[in-house]
Amino acid sequence: MASLPEVLGEPIRFVLNWGRRYSLWVFNFGLACCAIEFIATSMGRHDFIRLGVIPFAHGPRQADLMVVSGTVTDKMAPAIKRLYDQMPEPKYVISFGACSNCGGPYWDSYSVTKGVDQIVPVDVYVPGCPPRPEALLHGILQLQERIAAEESGLGGVSRPDPAASGRSASAAAGSAAALTAPLVPAPE
Amino acid sequence: MSGVPGTGLAKGLAVTLGAMTRRAHTRQYPDTPPDLPPRSRGVIALLEENCTVCMLCARECPDWCIYIDSHKEEVHTPGAARARQRNVLDRFAIDFSLCMYCGICIEVCPFDALFWTPEFEYAEHDIRELLHEKGRLGEWMVTVPPPPANDPNGEPAKEEAAARKAAEGAAG
Repeated sequence: MASLPEVLGEPIRFVLNWGRRYSLWVFNFGLACCAIEFIATSMGRHDFIRLGVIPFAHGPRQADLMVVSGTVTDKMAPAIKRLYDQMPEPKYVISFGACSNCGGPYWDSYSVTKGVDQIVPVDVYVPGCPPRPEALLHGILQLQERIAAEESGLGGVSRPDPAASGRSASAAAGSAAALTAPLVPAPE
Repeated sequence: MSGVPGTGLAKGLAVTLGAMTRRAHTRQYPDTPPDLPPRSRGVIALLEENCTVCMLCARECPDWCIYIDSHKEEVHTPGAARARQRNVLDRFAIDFSLCMYCGICIEVCPFDALFWTPEFEYAEHDIRELLHEKGRLGEWMVTVPPPPANDPNGEPAKEEAAARKAAEGAAG
């Protein structure tokens, strides 16, 4: 079966992506202090409805964008995964703040997940502790650029599940080397 | 509980009317740059020439998010009794996905190699891009705001007082 852009052409892809990027119902997964900055962004002074981001979706089933703001603990991780799976398919995730990027100040803690990208695929990482409201607006702009550039199908672009791929990769490699590989190559 | 029915509604509408006559205070961020306070903590810039690889910042960082690599170099000065050694910075990286923006590295830096910058627009699609190497940290230097002026009511700086004393001594 030919993919949708081949059948319908570039204009339809543009219109689909245009609709998707400017009507992002956002679902705030507020877990800590970064959630306050998220709320500040949704209120009158910064007001991200200007950018087409509609706050406080009634539930994950009606949301397009999940903003994980705050410390993800191992106990909370299954709930995040479950609510992410409940979202309908053209879905995006913004990781907001140091804690959800990679654990932040709690990276050495026994109970904190080292980044929400270990359980759900993340589209945009917003750095800060906590980031400014403008930084979230900038992250949303980055996400909208990415949505505009993506090859859209009817169900959006499915991204690999980091948890599943991690399992299969480690099973394929058959060792912990893949899991403990450094993110960046060591300098010469 | 009592009173004329509809007072609550009228009160609410009065508040709405009052707000309607005022201008909206929404900041139009992507179109107009935000007016950030000069001391706001956006990102950390590195002035590479000032770094002596003393490792104080990397050791004081509560998150251990600063990575420094260096090597020693021998400097031969003609006429000197022996060759001197100096540190050469190979790698200076700050992991901004981990940084908690406490500013301790900037406080402890004895040679003023690190600076706060109000820039905040560096959200990334890939978390590996948030590890800023020394080239990228150096690029932030152009955005460092000038230091704040002295408080006019405050005590003058030690250097100023010393200079005035010397001038008075020379005059008197």
